[in-house]
Formats: sequence, C-alpha cells, structure tokens
Amino acid sequence: MDYRKLVELIPTANREMISQKLVDFILTSKNDEKMPSQLANAILHFWQHNVLESESGLTVLLEAALLLEPDKTVSVFSELQMTIIAEQIKAALTS
Amino acid sequence: MVKFGIEFVPRGPHWKIMYYVIQAEKGGFTNLWITDHFNDRNVYVALTTVAIYTNKITFGPGVTNPYMVNPVFTAQAVATLNELAPGRVVLGMGAGDKTTLDTVGVEMEKPLIAIQESIDIIRKMITGETVAYQGEVFKTTGAKFLFKPRGKIPVYVGAQGPKMLALAGRIGDGVLINASHPKDVDYAVSCVKEGVKAAGKKFDEVDVAAYTSFSVHEDVKKANKAAVPAVSFIVAGSPPQILERHGIDVKKAGEIKEALKANDWGRAFSGVTPEMISAFSVCGTPDMCIERIAELLKSGISQFVVGSPIGANVREAINLVCERIIPHFKT
Repeated sequence: MDYRKLVELIPTANREMISQKLVDFILTSKNDEKMPSQLANAILHFWQHNVLESESGLTVLLEAALLLEPDKTVSVFSELQMTIIAEQIKAALTS
Repeated sequence: MVKFGIEFVPRGPHWKIMYYVIQAEKGGFTNLWITDHFNDRNVYVALTTVAIYTNKITFGPGVTNPYMVNPVFTAQAVATLNELAPGRVVLGMGAGDKTTLDTVGVEMEKPLIAIQESIDIIRKMITGETVAYQGEVFKTTGAKFLFKPRGKIPVYVGAQGPKMLALAGRIGDGVLINASHPKDVDYAVSCVKEGVKAAGKKFDEVDVAAYTSFSVHEDVKKANKAAVPAVSFIVAGSPPQILERHGIDVKKAGEIKEALKANDWGRAFSGVTPEMISAFSVCGTPDMCIERIAELLKSGISQFVVGSPIGANVREAINLVCERIIPHFKT
C-alpha cells in the first residue's frame, strides 16, 4: 500500500483532525506489540517537531494505525465521506 | 510559583510513554519522574530516551532504591544521563517497597541508614571523589569513576513515614511526599520541616513535592473509575493510623488487601469507596482537581506531581492538565 499517495488525497483542512484521531487509535490500541520500532521512532520524531499533521507525519501515522487498528482506521475515512481513501485501503487490506 | 511534575510507569512500550513525555513537556510540565520496578521496562533506558526526545524538562528516577541497585551503579547511571542532558537530571531515592523486595529475596535492611549512606556515596561519586566508605549497610573501598562526571545532580528523597520525611528534609535537595490529601501532606510537611531545621537549612531551599495519585476527566465518574485500581493498592498498603486519619474502616481496607493478594481484582476494586478515592488521590473534573491542588499548596509544597493513573485516557488527561489546570496556577 502506498501510504503517501493515500495521504495526498486527504484534504488539507481535515489533516489535523485526522492526525488526532489516528494518534488516539494508536495510543489506545491493545495491539501495540504490532508497532515496528522504526515506525514508532518516526512518529516520535514528527511529534517532537510538531509536524504529525504534515504529509510525512500523516504517512507514518496512517501506516501505524492500519497495522494496529485497521477497522477503526477505515471507519474514520468512511465517516468523513472520504470514500476513495476508504475503498483503496479496504482493497489493499483484502488483497 | 508551583512546579508541575508528572510520573510515568514504564510498563507499556517505550513509544507510548515517549509520546506522553513529549506531550507533557510541550504542555508546560517542568519535571518528569519515571518509576523503577524490576518487573517493568528499565528506568534508565526510559530516561535515556527521555533525554533524547526532550529539551528542557527536568527528569529522573522517581524513585529508585539502594537495595535493588547498588548506589555506585545509581551514581554511574545518573552521572551518565547528566552528560546526555546536562543540568536536567535529578535523582529520586527511596527505601523501596517491601513486597517487591521480598519477591526477589532482598532484605530491606535499616532503611533510614541505607538511604542516608547511599546518598552519601552517590553524592561523593558524582563529584568525582574516590569513595572509601565504611557504613552500616554499604561499604566501598576506593570506588571511583574512570570518567569525569560533570554538573550537580539534585537528590530527592521519597518518603512517607515521619522519620524518613525528617531525614528527607535534612539531607535531601528535594522531598517526594507520597500523599494526595491535605491532611497527609500537611503532616508530612511538618515532619520535613523538622529535618530542614535540624540541618540548619531554610525550608524554601528544599523542593518539596506532593507525589500524588491523580485522575482527571470532564466526567467525574470516569475520573473515579480510572482512579480505583491505584487507590485500592494504596488503601491495602496504608498503615491503620493513616486509614483512621481519614475515617476509613480498617477492616474494609483489610478486605481489599486480601482480595488483591488473591488476585481477585473485581472484589478488590468494588471495595473502594468514594471516601477512599478522596483520601488517596487527586481525582475529578479539572475544577475539582484545581480545588484540591490549591488546598495542597497551602501546606507549602513547591512541586505538584501528577502520578498514576493520570486519567482514563492518558493523552486527554495530560491535555486537560496542560490546558486547564497548569494555567490556573500560573496567573
């Protein structure tokens, strides 16, 4: 899955709100053992530098959220009517 | 102005704790404490990561003990950390928890003397001295680092009983008072003052912290629910005189202790009453927490530590403290 291309489809106005939701999924997930350490370090790097809602920040958040909480992550895009993103994720997850 | 500290238990993966650490620093916390228990992730690995991911927050173990870790190793660890984050490292020392020490067959020998001696040794080591020390509990015969430690590392003493509190006031650069209720903190501060006076120091030279069990949420029921597990352990570990100070039935506390011993969490947690939550935690909505913190400040404490569980959702709870509570005490 090309996470960066998916992030580019997220309207700029929604990026901060989506980054907040993805962070919440990740931090409250019971599947935290699935988080690769390199991805975790990348998230912390972007968080430390206040750029989690940038394209690069959202890219690592989306990858982590899909690893830890795929269903919730798809739901958030469906609820926000970002159906293209939701469908592309669903297709990638089932392929 | 009161300083705000926050405690994290390194039980979860490092990245979750570090997310909260960065959040706490951004939000205005000035002090950070990481607990030291052999059955969690290692405290110094966590603190090293803190040094890397933060820029200004003061941090240290809160608290380590001299029985599980020999004082020369503690001195080595904090001296090395102080190279990574010069001037931001503090050390919290306490006697440890007897139940945990029993688990690994370590005796809590002469805790008052052990704390005093271990701090003596650590202070000498981190100033680069060669330490030949003949104490009652600890002995060294010429211990010295093969590197040059730099800077001063303030030592805080974690204390609960009157003698340890007085010792903490006498020898500590700071004191970590394990209490959340004004009655307990007032009493503890009076004990600390005795020690401060005996050492010929001024009270405001010592950073005195209320190291609380804390839970905040906009919904008081959710705040209370999150506080229950921590409070159950505090109730179970409290001596009868402390329970009686708060009008808590010693028999009911005993029942909670028995349930915890039997790993019957449901029975233990259902035994926790609102009175127990009020006695042993700072808990509620942001306004309720502000009211309690204001009461605690009257005792003369200079640092308020937001301890576990922090809240039902840690991220949201840290935001509430940073956006609603800390600003209240800055105006």
